This record gives sequence, C-alpha cells and structure tokens, in this order.
Amino acid sequence: MANGYSIFVGLIIIAAMCGAAWFFAPKGENQVLWRSSLILTFISCYLMWAITFLAQLHPLIEPRRSGLRKEFVHH
Amino acid sequence: MGPTRDTPFRSADMSMVQLYISNEIGREVVNALGELGLVQFRDLNGDISAFQRAFTQDIRRLDNVERQLRYFHAQMEKAGISLRKLDLDVDTLAAPTTTEIDELAERSQSLEQRISSLNESYETLKKREVELTEWRWVLREAGGFFDRAHGNVEEIRASTDNDDAPLLQDVEHNHSAPEVERSFSGMNIGFVAGVIARDRVAAFERILWRTLRGNLYMNQAEIPEPLIDPSNNEAIQKNVFVIFAHGKEILAKIRKISESMGAEVYNVDENSDLRRDQVHEVNNRLNDVQNVLRNTQQTLDAELNQISRSLAAWMVLVGKEKAVYNTLNLFSYDRARRTLIAEGWCPTNDLPLIRSTLQDVTNRAGLSVPSIINEIRTNKKPPTYLKTNKFTEAFQTIVNAYGTASYQEVNPAIPVIVTFPFLFAVMFGDFGHAVIMFTAACAMIYWEKPLKKVTFELFAMVYYGRYIALVMATFSIYTGLIYNDVFSKSMTLFSSQWRWKVPEGWAPGQAVTAELVSDDYRYPFGLDWRWHGTDNDLLFSNSYKMKMSIILGWVHMTYSLCFSYINARHFKKPIDIWGNFVPGMIFFQSIFGYLVVCIIYKWSVDWFARGLQPPGLLNMLIYMFLQPGTLDIRLYRGQEYVQVGLLLLAFAQVPILLFLKPFYLRWEHNKARARGYRGIGERSRVSALDEDDENDNSHAIDGRRSSDDEGVAMITQDLGDEEHEEFEFGEVMIHQVIHTIEFCLNCVSHTASYLRLWALSLAHQQLSAVLWSMTLGPALKGSGIGGAIYIVVTFYMFFCLSCIILIVMEGVSAMLHSLRLAWVESFSKFAEFGGWPFAPFSFKTMIEESEELKDYMG
Repeated sequence: MANGYSIFVGLIIIAAMCGAAWFFAPKGENQVLWRSSLILTFISCYLMWAITFLAQLHPLIEPRRSGLRKEFVHH
Repeated sequence: MGPTRDTPFRSADMSMVQLYISNEIGREVVNALGELGLVQFRDLNGDISAFQRAFTQDIRRLDNVERQLRYFHAQMEKAGISLRKLDLDVDTLAAPTTTEIDELAERSQSLEQRISSLNESYETLKKREVELTEWRWVLREAGGFFDRAHGNVEEIRASTDNDDAPLLQDVEHNHSAPEVERSFSGMNIGFVAGVIARDRVAAFERILWRTLRGNLYMNQAEIPEPLIDPSNNEAIQKNVFVIFAHGKEILAKIRKISESMGAEVYNVDENSDLRRDQVHEVNNRLNDVQNVLRNTQQTLDAELNQISRSLAAWMVLVGKEKAVYNTLNLFSYDRARRTLIAEGWCPTNDLPLIRSTLQDVTNRAGLSVPSIINEIRTNKKPPTYLKTNKFTEAFQTIVNAYGTASYQEVNPAIPVIVTFPFLFAVMFGDFGHAVIMFTAACAMIYWEKPLKKVTFELFAMVYYGRYIALVMATFSIYTGLIYNDVFSKSMTLFSSQWRWKVPEGWAPGQAVTAELVSDDYRYPFGLDWRWHGTDNDLLFSNSYKMKMSIILGWVHMTYSLCFSYINARHFKKPIDIWGNFVPGMIFFQSIFGYLVVCIIYKWSVDWFARGLQPPGLLNMLIYMFLQPGTLDIRLYRGQEYVQVGLLLLAFAQVPILLFLKPFYLRWEHNKARARGYRGIGERSRVSALDEDDENDNSHAIDGRRSSDDEGVAMITQDLGDEEHEEFEFGEVMIHQVIHTIEFCLNCVSHTASYLRLWALSLAHQQLSAVLWSMTLGPALKGSGIGGAIYIVVTFYMFFCLSCIILIVMEGVSAMLHSLRLAWVESFSKFAEFGGWPFAPFSFKTMIEESEELKDYMG
C-alpha cells in the first residue's frame, strides 16, 4: 500500500474525475464554467497531494525529538 | 460566422445597432428598453449643449416634481412620519403612461400648495398661541404683583402722610371712589408689563436703570416652562416683568426700550375684575387657537400619511422618467422631425429579444409605422460585456478591479475562480481555521435574503464576497488536511511511516530519532504526523513548502501563458503565437520547467539506497548560469550537456522574441503597400450622427445601406487612415523590446514571487503554534477548580484571538497575496486589459446606484 506507484494510481483517478467533470457538467450557459472550475480544482488538489507524497517518498532527513515523554516512546 | 452562444469564457458578441422609432412612441420604447437593460446608447448630439436638447423642458418639469417629492419627504421627517419603503424584490412598478406622469405632476403640485399653506397657517397659529400663552403668564404674574402690592398701598400712603407733605391730597380727598383711591393710578404711578427672554434680563435692567436714573420699580418672575419659538422651533426661557414708573413720558420710554430689547409688552388692566375678565378671555382664545392648531396638525399628518404610502414609488417613477428623457436627449431626429434615430451597442445574441420588445411596444401603441432596428458594421471597438451570476459576480469584480478585459479576450475571471482561492488556501492551510471560515460562509449563504438588507459597510463587503469565502474555506480545509494542521496540532488519521528508534538505556530528555517502518509504506495523505513537535520539523517542512511553491508557481504561470495562445488564435494573429508565445514558452520551460523536473526527479530517487550524495538544486541552478558545463554534485548522467543545451536554447529565444514580430509586421505592411492594397470592398459609410468623436471621424461601417436611410446623411469615404497606415516600425520595435525584457526578467522575479506561498504558510502555522503555547497549551497542565477556571479563561482567549488574528487578519493578508499572484503573476502572461465596460441603459442598475433613491428603497 501507498508506495511510489500511488502517484500514478492517483493520476488515473484524477484523470477519470476530470473526464467525468467534462461529460457530466450541467448543460447551458455555464457549462464552460463548470468544466473549467471542476477540472482545475481536481488538478490543483492532486498536485498538492502528489507534491506532499513525493516529498516524503525518499526522505533525506528523519524526525528527531528530544522532549518525548516516556509513555509515547513506543507509540 | 453565426452567432455562438455567449459563455463566461469570453465577453459577449456585441453589435452596433441603429434604431428608427416613431416620435410618438419614443418614450415608451426607451422605457421598455430600460426595463430590459441591454442597450447602451451613444450620444448623437455631442455638439448640442444640455440646454438646447429636445427634451430638456420635460426634464426640468420632472426636476420640479422631484423637488416637491423631496419637500414632502422633509416634511414627513419633520413630523416624524415614517416612509413606507419600496422593496423592488416584492413590489413591481408598471411603466407609467404620460398621462399618469402628468397626473402625478399635477397632484404633487396641488399637494405642495396644500401642504405649504397648511404649514403656513400652522406657523401663524403657533405664533398666536405663543403670544396668548405669554399674555396669560403676564396676567398671572402681574396680577400677583398687584395683589401683593395692594396690601402695601396703605403703608406707602402712611409714609407720605408722615412727611406731612400732602402731595396726594386731592386724591385723599376724593373718597367717593374707593376703588380708584386704592389704585396705583391714584398715586399717579403707571406701569408696563411684558415678557422678555431670560438671558436679556440683566442688560434690560441695566439699560432701564441708566436711562431712567433709577426712577423705576421693576418686578419680575420666571416663567417655569420654556416657550417655543415657532419660526425655528427653539425653546426659549422667558421672564415676566412689570415696571412701575412715574409719568407718561417715562412710561413711553420704557415701552420703547422694551420693544427694542425684543420684549413683548402686553396690556394688563390693574383693576382686578377687569383683569379677571381678561384672563378669562385669553384662556378662551387660547383654547380656540389650540383646537384649530390640533385640527391643522391632524389634517397635515393625515395628508402626509397618505403621501408616505406612495412617496417611494413616485420617487422611483420620476427617477425612471427622468432617465428616459435623458436617454431620449441622446437621440437624433430625422429632417422631418417625425422619427427618432438612436445608435447603441447591444449583445448580438439579445438582438431578437430587443427586436420583439420594439415590436410589442409599436403594436401596443397601434402605430402603423414600424420601428426598425438595424445592425450596422463598424470598426469601432465594442465594449466588453461579461455576464455574471450570483456566484461569479464577486470573482468578476476582483478581476475588474484590476482592469477591463479587452473585447472577446479570454475572461481572466475564469481561472481566477479556482486559482485565487486555491493559492489562498496554500497560505491559509489550517483545518480548524478553515472550518470556522466555512461555517461563516455557509451561514451567509443560507441567510442570503435577510442579510442582503444589512447596510453596515464592512459587513456588506464580506457578504458580497461570500461565495469567494466559501470556495476559499473549502480549499483551506483540503490544504489543512494536507499540512495536517488543526489549530497547529496534528491529526493521526493514518499510521505513521516513522517509528522511534529507542536506544538502549534511553532516559526522558534524551533525543530520539525515527526510522522508516518499512520500505514499502508511505504516509498516504498529507504530512506525516510524526513530524509534529520534532526538533527538525521546520527543516523538513521549509524544504517541502519551498519546492511546492516553485512547482505551483510554475504550473500557474505555464497555465496562464497558454491563454495567450488561445487569445492569439481567437484574434487570428499567428505572429503572436510564433513571435511571442512559442519563444516565451521555450524560454520559460528551459529554465524553470527544467528546475521543476529536477525537483521531482530528486524526490523520486532513493539517494541513500544508491549510496550517492543528493545534490542541492539551488546550487545546481546557480552553477548552470555561472559556470555552464561544470557540476557541483551530479544529479544524473549527461547533466552538463543537457544544461548547456537548455541554456543555449533559452538564450536563442531572446532574439526571436525581440525581432520576429516587428520584422514580420514590417514585411506584411510593405507587401500590402507594394500592392496598393487599400482595404478592398471596404467603402464605408459614416454615421453622420456622430460628428463628435474625439479620436477620429471614422466610425466607418460597411457599405450595407439600410433601405430607409432617409434623413441619415451619408458620407462615403475610404478606410484609408486606419491601423495599416498608422504602422510605425520604431514604435512596434520599442514595444517589443520592452515586452521581451519584461518577459525574461519576469520569468525569474515571478517565480521567486511564488515563494510567498511558503513564507505565508510558514508564518500562519508558526503564529498559531505560538498562540496555542501562550494560551491553551500551558492551561491544560493545571488541575483542580483553579485549573478548570484557568482553562475556561484561556480557551476564550485562544478562541477569540484565533478568530481575530489567525482567521481575519491572516486571512486578509493571505487574500491580498493571492490577489497579487492573480493580478501580476498570472494576468501579465496573457491578458491585455484594453477594453471598456458595457454599461447598458437599465432601470435596475440606475436604481441600485442612485444615491438619492437609497433613502426610499427597503
């Protein structure tokens, strides 16, 4: 679960959602508005998630903590 | 090219139309078009001053009616009668006929007379009432003096008797009339009684004393209740005075002085019976006057009450009527003055609607002469008309605050609807704060109708942006989840990818580092909560957020740049694609696109597993420019060649950007000149109605002559002095040099500008962490009742400060930064902002924007 391939799985899901947004946008004067807004939203949200995920994929530093309480060491 | 459906993507197709309306129904047509609100009329009488125009008389008359209505309003305010306000959402006003307007004018004329006469008589009566009241007081007070004084007459006389100087002997002898004998006149003393303002008493006394050398006896009493001056409705404190003095001349002098001092002198009889009669009479008259006054007041109130019910509607009607005549003043006549000719802009797709409205009005009037609407071709720049709805309105306002988009260019508001709130959310990412904001936005939308009436300005502004707030809050909830921040705390939604590596013999206080749980598991959504509260979390999150800012900035700018391609294609300017868009895109991508690719590549490589040193990307970019071909630490094989290649590619774009477009334009221009090309078939008709244009006299329109052009003067002329002739190579070149320099420098500075996303997000997160540690954080350690109280107090502090500082203040700051990213970083890539806004003649906007009518609207 949740390894490097997740990026591509996410991409496929987002592509599917964008496709759905394109085809199921309500007809009429505001169709352009629906399509562009929904697709932009999906892509921006995916981008942010993907960046966060990639930043933690191969971490160069690890968390270091000194104020840890005894109860939480093995948590 | 058939008309396409208008979308929010571009401004609507506009047409210049000419209307021929029969003179009789001009007013009705304009009325109907005002209700429709789709036509912006042009002024065809620019050379005629406002006083000489055809309908100035009507406007004057309506101005007078309006003045009368305002007078009624002022009277109503004076009488404390509240106005029944007009709510256009509920009430609808039918368009009035001319006779109705005439009736209204007549009615308000007669009402004004009635009210002013009522007012006048009310004032006179009021004055009379005050006089009578004063007189009554004088009678009462003076009577008191007399009654007291009579008791003393004997003493006075006794004193004179003692002197043995029978000055009053003849009086003494006259015993036949005891009444007279006991009176003052018997002592040859006269008196003056009256009323004077209290603040003048001292001066009055002094003057009397000086002029009469002390030969007087003055008695005064204060009137306890203030008297009201009817001319200005001010309350004045007054005193009653009675002055006794010797001799007729002196009395006359006293009278004169009192009059000059503004005192009112009243006739008081010294005989107590007569005085009693006088008091009686005064009281009767006062009663009468008060009765009449009350009646007058009642009539006036009834009249005003009746007016108050329809005043708002009248005001709106008159306002509309005035707007109609003002519009009619823009129209021109044909020679026979039978037909009105109007010119204006309207959306092409609404032409059928306008046409049918015209038809309706003509039919209703039963006129045999049809009204004609004629589309004319023009090379004038049409206005930008962007239709909005409840949701897009506020976003469009944000864009319009920066400028009006050029006619038919991509509406910059379309991407802004998502990018603006999203970039805001990147800076504002905190789940807790976002939920509070979301709730507020939802509440404003749920109670949309009642909250619309709130006039408090600051709230009205927030209310206007309620949909922006909703989208911003929704995105902030998402980014809050990604940052894993709830009021600066973390949520443990999924199991962490880290676990603490506890060394043997670990003691609290000793540092622990974490290790990966497994090579195959990564935290699936957002930031791992294990980073929360660690010593090096900023080290990690700064690197992450900085890189994210660069990537998002790159995406945002590339996306915006693509719109310039769409614009160039729409306006059929291929040179803008090949001379601006393509080289610009290559320049931008070979530097910053490369940087983004490197960032992602560096993330996706497991450096430690390969046993390699991860390179610093900042150094890499610097070395790429300073020492092309040499590397600090290698990122991938063949890197130096790729970088040198990209650098050369980028710099090769600069001359293309600089020279391609100007030289192409010059070549095209010369080619056209060589062929003697002068706009074939473009013989043009100038609408002779606009002789007034400030730029040029060439509102040239295509040679389509309308069949009924009687009365429209025609001029045919060449389209000679159009843009082609104005081609100036130097100007184009300078323009392009500026554009190139600006574009290349902006690529760098704008990319750096996106680092504000990181800076503000860091500031927000740190600020909320500090707030927690200063209020609620330490309070949670307390215990007992004191601890409980401490928690309650600090919670309120925490909550209020969270709302004020972190949501409102930080929210405004993040919004401004996001606004800048939209206006500067994004719009500069594609939008020209060279348009002028479409402002149709519409009653709705007229009423909304009128300051005067604001008081009358509910």
